Amino acid sequence: MLELNAVSRSFGGLMAVNDVGFSVQAGEIFGLIGPNGAGKTTLFNLITGLTPVSCGDIRFDGHNILGLPPHRIATAGMARTFQNIRLFATMSVLDNVRVPMQAFTRAGLLAGLFGLPASRSQEREMLEKSMALLELVGLADKAGDPAGSLPYGARRKLEIARALALKPKLLLLDEPAAGMNLAEKGELSGFIRDIKQRFDLTVLIIEHHVPLVMGLCDRLAVLNFGRLICVGRPEEVRKDQCVIEAYLGASHAAS
Amino acid sequence: MSAFFDQYGFLMVAIVQQALLGMSLWYPLMAGQLSLASIGFYSLGGYIAAIMGTNPWFAPWREALGPAIYPLQWLIALIVSALIGLAVGIPALRLRGIYLALATIAFVQVLNVLVLITDVTGGAVGLFGIPQPFVSRLGYIWFFGPLLVLALIFSARLTRTVAGRSFMAIRDDELAAQAMGISTTFEKVRAFVIGCALAGVTGAMSAPFLNTWNARQSSFDASVACLAYVLIGGARSIWGPLLGAALLVALPEVLRPLKDARLIMNGVVLVVACIYLPQGLAGLLASLRRPGKEAGHA
Repeated sequence: MLELNAVSRSFGGLMAVNDVGFSVQAGEIFGLIGPNGAGKTTLFNLITGLTPVSCGDIRFDGHNILGLPPHRIATAGMARTFQNIRLFATMSVLDNVRVPMQAFTRAGLLAGLFGLPASRSQEREMLEKSMALLELVGLADKAGDPAGSLPYGARRKLEIARALALKPKLLLLDEPAAGMNLAEKGELSGFIRDIKQRFDLTVLIIEHHVPLVMGLCDRLAVLNFGRLICVGRPEEVRKDQCVIEAYLGASHAAS
Repeated sequence: MSAFFDQYGFLMVAIVQQALLGMSLWYPLMAGQLSLASIGFYSLGGYIAAIMGTNPWFAPWREALGPAIYPLQWLIALIVSALIGLAVGIPALRLRGIYLALATIAFVQVLNVLVLITDVTGGAVGLFGIPQPFVSRLGYIWFFGPLLVLALIFSARLTRTVAGRSFMAIRDDELAAQAMGISTTFEKVRAFVIGCALAGVTGAMSAPFLNTWNARQSSFDASVACLAYVLIGGARSIWGPLLGAALLVALPEVLRPLKDARLIMNGVVLVVACIYLPQGLAGLLASLRRPGKEAGHA
């Protein structure tokens, strides 16, 4: 589904992502973990095309996506959420989910302005699908509210619904559990499994909360200082010497 | 009543005309783009109408078409403005924020210099004696009025279409808009070109209205005034440019008894509006209608 080959990105002299390569299989929930500043979010930005790659190669669904503009990568079937939640804050909850669907519409500006049948049926279809997605995340009754007025947890959910509206094959979640309490984290785990089944997704997830990652992910990749230090199943990663050093320090690992 | 219209007819038409210029900046602002190019396209449209109205080369056209020459002027102004808007917009909209504003100011300056050194535009003197279809100034409401109504309907529809939602998504968060499948460059250019076309047509209607046309039409002051209509009126409401233009065009007249002090008062009103009305007059009216609900919402 997704293949990274020797991907690097430097900002000035800093190698934010250094020679990283792994592949994510279709249908997997793949975790990306690492200490703060390890380059996880930068890697997401490289994959989704928001930041250009310095060198290396990224293939998605069998196609090289290097150099494609972000909106083309998005419509090719890759949707993401953001660590710091980037909703369209002044737009309605409904419009937030409707906007990504527009990438697949055909009726043009004039058809929309004059309310031609092509545009009307398209609008009706988008409305139905958007409401179904909002129903799924439990925000249907808030459809008319501005997205910025939602409480934190609801904003996280809306961001996932917005990403699903792109009909992705690959869903990238950047710390979806940040700021949630334990009960909410458990609920989120179930929710991610559920949408993965329902929409036939492959999921790539950045998460700090170790129990959630261990329980949820089929495989994990661990980044530290921009380098990939370990890839494997959760139980393998848990025992890996390099990972223990990265998280707990070298002396702990030795003892 | 007729005395009132005699005295204030020009003012009323000027409000509508300036509101149209405000609207032409409103479209790029809807996509989060701060442009000051409108006055350039206004000038361009005016020269198209002025040249078609006065140049001997067009005399057979004027004879054959009669009053139908005016819609033809608008159409040509629309097409030329849209095309030049496209040519300017594609490179300029790669710049963001203040740099886009600077680039569009530069575009207006280049246009002004070109106008000054070209013969067909009358150079520094400009073009005068532009034929006028109406005897009274108030008559021009038949030019600008329908255009404003059309622009308002267009704006109201736009917020409910695919394109309008894309514009607003870019305004709210350009990066997220990209990640959600919006071609931000395409949409920004589209919003810009819509504004350019409207400014061009407004200019073409204004040449007969003002009777003369010269490079002073596109001064920097006029550029900033257009932006002020939108900001004072409210950039988030379709009524913003009209409200802003009504206030700012009428204000110097209302304050006339203050003589020179009116310039100070004019400035004070602007500053107060900027500080206390972040959503402009339109935002103020909306919050008066729904007391409390908008209070905490900036």
